[in-house]
Amino acid sequence: MSGMKPTNKKAELLLDAAEAGHVPEVVAMESVAGCATTFDPGWEVDPFGGVASLCQPMEADLYGCSDPCWWPAQVPDTMNTYPDWDAGKPSAQGDWRELGSVFPKK
Amino acid sequence: MLKDIPPRSALAGLALATLALLSAACALAAAPKRDFIITAAKPDRLFVIDAAARTIKSEFRIPEANGFLGAIVPSPDGRIAYILVNKMESISGIDLDSGKEVFRANLSSPGERVKCLFAFDVTPDGKELIVYEVPVKLGLSEYVVEDTRFAVFNTRAGVDAKPVRQFPAPRRVHTLLSRKDGKSFYAIGFDLYEFDRASGKQLNQKGVRNWDYANHSTPDLLAFWPVSEPTGVFATPIYSSVPPASGTGDPVPKTALMTLDLTSGDLQYHDFEDTSALIFSAVLSPAKTEAFGVYSQLSKIDTRTNTLAKRVDLDHTYYAVLVSNDGKEVYAAGAMCDVTFFDSTTLEKKGNVKLTGCTDQAITSPRVIRR
Repeated sequence: MSGMKPTNKKAELLLDAAEAGHVPEVVAMESVAGCATTFDPGWEVDPFGGVASLCQPMEADLYGCSDPCWWPAQVPDTMNTYPDWDAGKPSAQGDWRELGSVFPKK
Repeated sequence: MLKDIPPRSALAGLALATLALLSAACALAAAPKRDFIITAAKPDRLFVIDAAARTIKSEFRIPEANGFLGAIVPSPDGRIAYILVNKMESISGIDLDSGKEVFRANLSSPGERVKCLFAFDVTPDGKELIVYEVPVKLGLSEYVVEDTRFAVFNTRAGVDAKPVRQFPAPRRVHTLLSRKDGKSFYAIGFDLYEFDRASGKQLNQKGVRNWDYANHSTPDLLAFWPVSEPTGVFATPIYSSVPPASGTGDPVPKTALMTLDLTSGDLQYHDFEDTSALIFSAVLSPAKTEAFGVYSQLSKIDTRTNTLAKRVDLDHTYYAVLVSNDGKEVYAAGAMCDVTFFDSTTLEKKGNVKLTGCTDQAITSPRVIRR
């Protein structure tokens, strides 16, 4: 592969893999990766079409959703992707001001 | 020294000592057992709560919990609490008297990330832990999803436990429950599966998603609080719908109680209301004549008539519910940082214990032991 230049991270990985003899481990992505085994609608609406039956207060449910990657679109997934999102903030009701937004890693 | 004591005095002393020992033994035998609630809270705390005294008896630190605390499984003798920690990748066994970690199984290994999504249990003889594993091979540029499996650990293997047996498992399992005879175990996922403990051979499959409940839709089940004490019967709410009585219009949502007897294997479903409130988890009373369910309300279900007997609003949402061994009190826990005590007849609030530092229990599954 000496005549080829990688133009993205995937290609860089392929180049590294070739040098290390691990090319068979680099394959095309077949499906969306991530932690998305749950297809519930999320925190927008409860089963009755309102919001009264969502967890009260929402902080009661915050770490219950981030820990098992329950609603990764609404709450950062601490199981795999953002393991330190709640580090040093063990109380959702006391520490919620310190819980920040997350962004895809580059 | 003994040789300096006259024989008569020595005999008298021996008799007195024997009496004292007998007295102590009788006192121990007569000491009434008490309910203790085992729960955990972020970032790494395990609590033993004296239910009657409404006090925290012990607070321990779980090594390398990594900010995650999941299902709790007490050993049959109530001496050890096994708890899922470390982002679902480790099970730690904590001695409930000393607070020491006496068992540790780290499920992942270099190149393979293994999660246990809540489902594990100890066998009735206390000798083995059966763990549901979801493994992923970590390649250089992709993750390869591997087949799910059960892994069996020797509970005496110490803090570097490795599986002594592994066998294939179905996908989507979220609760694992040992049968009381110790020969097999249940895995609850899309359906209810039963496996031989020694060989891993599937012995039985009963419908959950594919249930045989006349006129009912495919149900929805959220069951990862593996509580079967004090009755030995696992209970959980399960949701479905039935066609409207008029024959036209929207289906009618129904809440049923699903019960699984871990001794007889009897699996039952009974609707008890048109769904009017959410219930996350449930527990059966010692007499099995009532069940209690919790979420943002505490519900009492009459299991003789399969009707909703009573429902009260709670101060906040709780994920988990337990019942005292005498059936007089209901304990609500999980989610936030407290355990609340209710009269099981009136559902009146009787007490509350706040955990040290008021940190979240989140999805841990509190349990009751009796010692």
